[in-house]
Amino acid sequence: MNLSLFLPALLLIPLVGVVLIALGCAPKKTALLVSWLNLIPGFLLSGTVLRSGEVLFGPEATPARELFPVKFLLGMDGLSLPLVWLTLGVTLAAMGVAQEGIKREKEYFICLLLVGLGALGAFLSIDLFYFFSFHEVALIPTFLLIGIWGHGDRSGAAWRMTLYLMLGSLVLLVGLIGLVMALPEAARTLDWRVMTEFLRTNSLGAPVQNLLAILLLVGFGTLVSLVPFHSWAPGGYASAPAPAAMLHAGVLKKFGLYGLLRLALPLAPLGWKEMGWLVGLMLAGNILYLGLASLQQRDFRWLLGFSSAMHMGTVFLGLIGGTVLGLGGALTLMVGHGFSAALGFAVAGEVGRRTGTTWMHDLGGLAKRAPKLWFYLMVAAMASIGLPGLANFAGEIMIFFGAWSAHPVLVVVAAWGVVLSAVAMLRAVRAIAFGPTSRSVENAAEPDLVGITQNWPFVLLTAFLFLVGLVPTVILGPARPVLERLVSP
Amino acid sequence: MSLWLCPEVLFVLTGVGLILIDCLIIPASKRWLSPLAVGLSALLFLWVSFSSSRPMPESWSNLLVTDALSALFKPFFALCLVAVTLMSSRVRLGADEAVKGELLALPFFPTAGLCLLASARDFLAVFVALELVSISLYLLTAFQRAKPASLEAGIKLLVMGGLSTGFLIMGIAWLYAAAGTTEFSRLLLEQAGKPASPALLAAAGLILTGLAFKVAAVPFHAWAPDVYEGAPTSITAFLAVASKAAGFVLLLRIFGFGAFALESIGQVFRPVILTLGIATVTLGTLAALPQRDLKRLLAYSGIAHAGYMLLALGTLGEAGLGTVVAYLWAYLLATVPTLIFVNELERIHGNTDMRHLDGLARRDPGPSLGLTICLLSMAGLPPLVGFSVKLAVISTLWSAGEIPALVIALIMAVAALGFYLSPIKAMYWEREADSIPSKRFPLYLVWVLLLAATLNLVLGLYPQPLVRLAERSLAPHPVSFPVPSP
Repeated sequence: MNLSLFLPALLLIPLVGVVLIALGCAPKKTALLVSWLNLIPGFLLSGTVLRSGEVLFGPEATPARELFPVKFLLGMDGLSLPLVWLTLGVTLAAMGVAQEGIKREKEYFICLLLVGLGALGAFLSIDLFYFFSFHEVALIPTFLLIGIWGHGDRSGAAWRMTLYLMLGSLVLLVGLIGLVMALPEAARTLDWRVMTEFLRTNSLGAPVQNLLAILLLVGFGTLVSLVPFHSWAPGGYASAPAPAAMLHAGVLKKFGLYGLLRLALPLAPLGWKEMGWLVGLMLAGNILYLGLASLQQRDFRWLLGFSSAMHMGTVFLGLIGGTVLGLGGALTLMVGHGFSAALGFAVAGEVGRRTGTTWMHDLGGLAKRAPKLWFYLMVAAMASIGLPGLANFAGEIMIFFGAWSAHPVLVVVAAWGVVLSAVAMLRAVRAIAFGPTSRSVENAAEPDLVGITQNWPFVLLTAFLFLVGLVPTVILGPARPVLERLVSP
Repeated sequence: MSLWLCPEVLFVLTGVGLILIDCLIIPASKRWLSPLAVGLSALLFLWVSFSSSRPMPESWSNLLVTDALSALFKPFFALCLVAVTLMSSRVRLGADEAVKGELLALPFFPTAGLCLLASARDFLAVFVALELVSISLYLLTAFQRAKPASLEAGIKLLVMGGLSTGFLIMGIAWLYAAAGTTEFSRLLLEQAGKPASPALLAAAGLILTGLAFKVAAVPFHAWAPDVYEGAPTSITAFLAVASKAAGFVLLLRIFGFGAFALESIGQVFRPVILTLGIATVTLGTLAALPQRDLKRLLAYSGIAHAGYMLLALGTLGEAGLGTVVAYLWAYLLATVPTLIFVNELERIHGNTDMRHLDGLARRDPGPSLGLTICLLSMAGLPPLVGFSVKLAVISTLWSAGEIPALVIALIMAVAALGFYLSPIKAMYWEREADSIPSKRFPLYLVWVLLLAATLNLVLGLYPQPLVRLAERSLAPHPVSFPVPSP
């Protein structure tokens, strides 16, 4: 049986869900059903990737020169495998957390499914046209999700985030066009696999590579909230409804990192090295500036927003380290951060919904009245700090070792980031969970999660965090050959 | 092809026929006129798409030619006509309801003119065809005599149109004086390899100015918003889509493939067209941001789109010319359905203010979704067709090395989200107005909008058909013009 047909199935199943919901099926049930169903192609494809390295789907390459050589090519290899699982897992959990009976439920679940679909498509696309397009598909639903179902300054946050991300995407688009145009006419293609193979033997000129590296860095960097292009992130996440924040911070943001790993690193290696100091400066900004800013937050959602943007700095350190270990660490941290941020936003959403506030000094004593929620809060906080046994630690430690030889100073800076993160998170846990029971927690009618139906999304995310943390080889094993090819000259 | 089967002749005959029917039939059966006009225009569209690549009658061949470009754009204009008659049949004219037949019949004449224009191989034919279009449009724009805005629009179009015709005819006169011919292929053959004389450059400049009025390029755009706002919405659609496209077809023929693309003239006008493009994109986008009236908003959006097309055209390369063709089709697919929606909105509320959209998604989810997708396509978001063509513009600019133009185009593409998203925001997250009109959108609108949305989506995901159109349009390279015997 040809398993490659399951690649489009991964995208088709959520799409069918969207159509069914639009036609009037029960929104939450349908969304959950398609998210569960999507695990089946996920499992089958993972098996194939583990066995043969990669799966491809799409038309055969034609040598004829075309005006606009777009092809619907999908593929999955050891590098996209963990990200696909991140998407599947977080989408499933987000659907589980999403409230039933919210206003305009139908549109709500359609938007959520579309965000997950866009992320999956981007991770699976091999043609740059679709790679870019799928990411954009997710942006408009995000705009609507924040604008309609958000809280706080939702209108401002939605506009700021959308315009910011669009601008970043357009810089990225110019970078991608530049990349294609920089190839000699005979070898011009939109297929990044062909492109990588071609540039392995013929490299681009140094000035071109520098220009491309800058464009891709600013473009992808904006999407990943790299300082100074970060200001959309904390406010956007703070205003977004919990499932939207989970999907965006957990999954969609990883698109930028994935793009850098896939394109900037192998296609413009000289430019990427040349820009190393700039990336170093920016990521130090992420770790120190956003880390300090996170100490000042009074709202748990804002704290999570800042802390999520801050961790991107550490991932970048892995990316510029230039070793397989560092890249592997970056990939592991991407996945770990995806699950831990999703768990954090899910907890914040539940706390906010049940007690009516996420202001930390209005909370307190949650541990007594809501022990389960407290446990998940602890897992998210500890993962974010980098406690051994959880996924983030595995990633961070590999990044520190991998980047040490090239950037020892930055590793020290990043280690301080761990300290800042610990201070911010532990203070948050103390304020929310311990101390005298606050009025809002006291008055909450149903402060804790009840029964399996409310608990399973949290259990799922926790399980993923422990799995990656205890057995990081689930990510590194399949990804290693791909990463080795990325760094080998 | 027999003379009587030519689309141009059929359009004129149908128009005359409709006027006669309108005059002669008893008033009670007048309600059959609208479906008749829509049906006839649809039949003509089918016939034109089927026959547009057949050669012109022998007796016309000195002035008119059938080539890939004309074969591609005659169905375009016929499709616009279908939309225009459909919209006209739904326009509420109030006191002028009795003369509605004319609003249905008259657009057939400018469509004939546009088809002639697409086939013209001589500046004389261009001029005659263009006058046929313009004069019909002066009448149609001022159609709602009771409305001062409509009269104002008519006067503005008349004055500005007259001015642009003046530029054009002056340019043609200079051209004849400088080159001794007004025939495109002779001009090309005779001027090839020669340095351009100042008179010829002046002629090209004047002709470019005349056409810049037609496509509403800055600084010759000022008429567009007022005229679009005042004219009946169906005529706005004609002006915004068909008439603008005709301007670009001429620009393609003359500056893209024709004599003015020659090295000696092209290198003078390349920066001029690019500058026009930059100014048009910038002004169109920035001026659209504060608009609260949908028709004015679409007018400025149309100006911005013309700017993108001018930028692609200004590179004067093969890819740029193909891009303009694809862009025009994408523009049609997104703009015409939006205007059909605006027409219905005007029918219900009496005007086209954006506040009528508040909370619309709750009442009418179907039309809201369709409109959203059309607007997003205009904004150039993937995976819609508007993105594919903007991508083509940007990559054309990149490969032509026009980096400043590229940067400005990108910034404006983001700024444009500001006004394309605001109707969407109004529909989806503003609260509904207190007084909800009892009239609802008709069912056909839902189908039209959803069909258009599907097309936008499908062509965005699978742009191959558009690419093939663009590639085919590159065929009428000057050498393929038959040179007439002197």
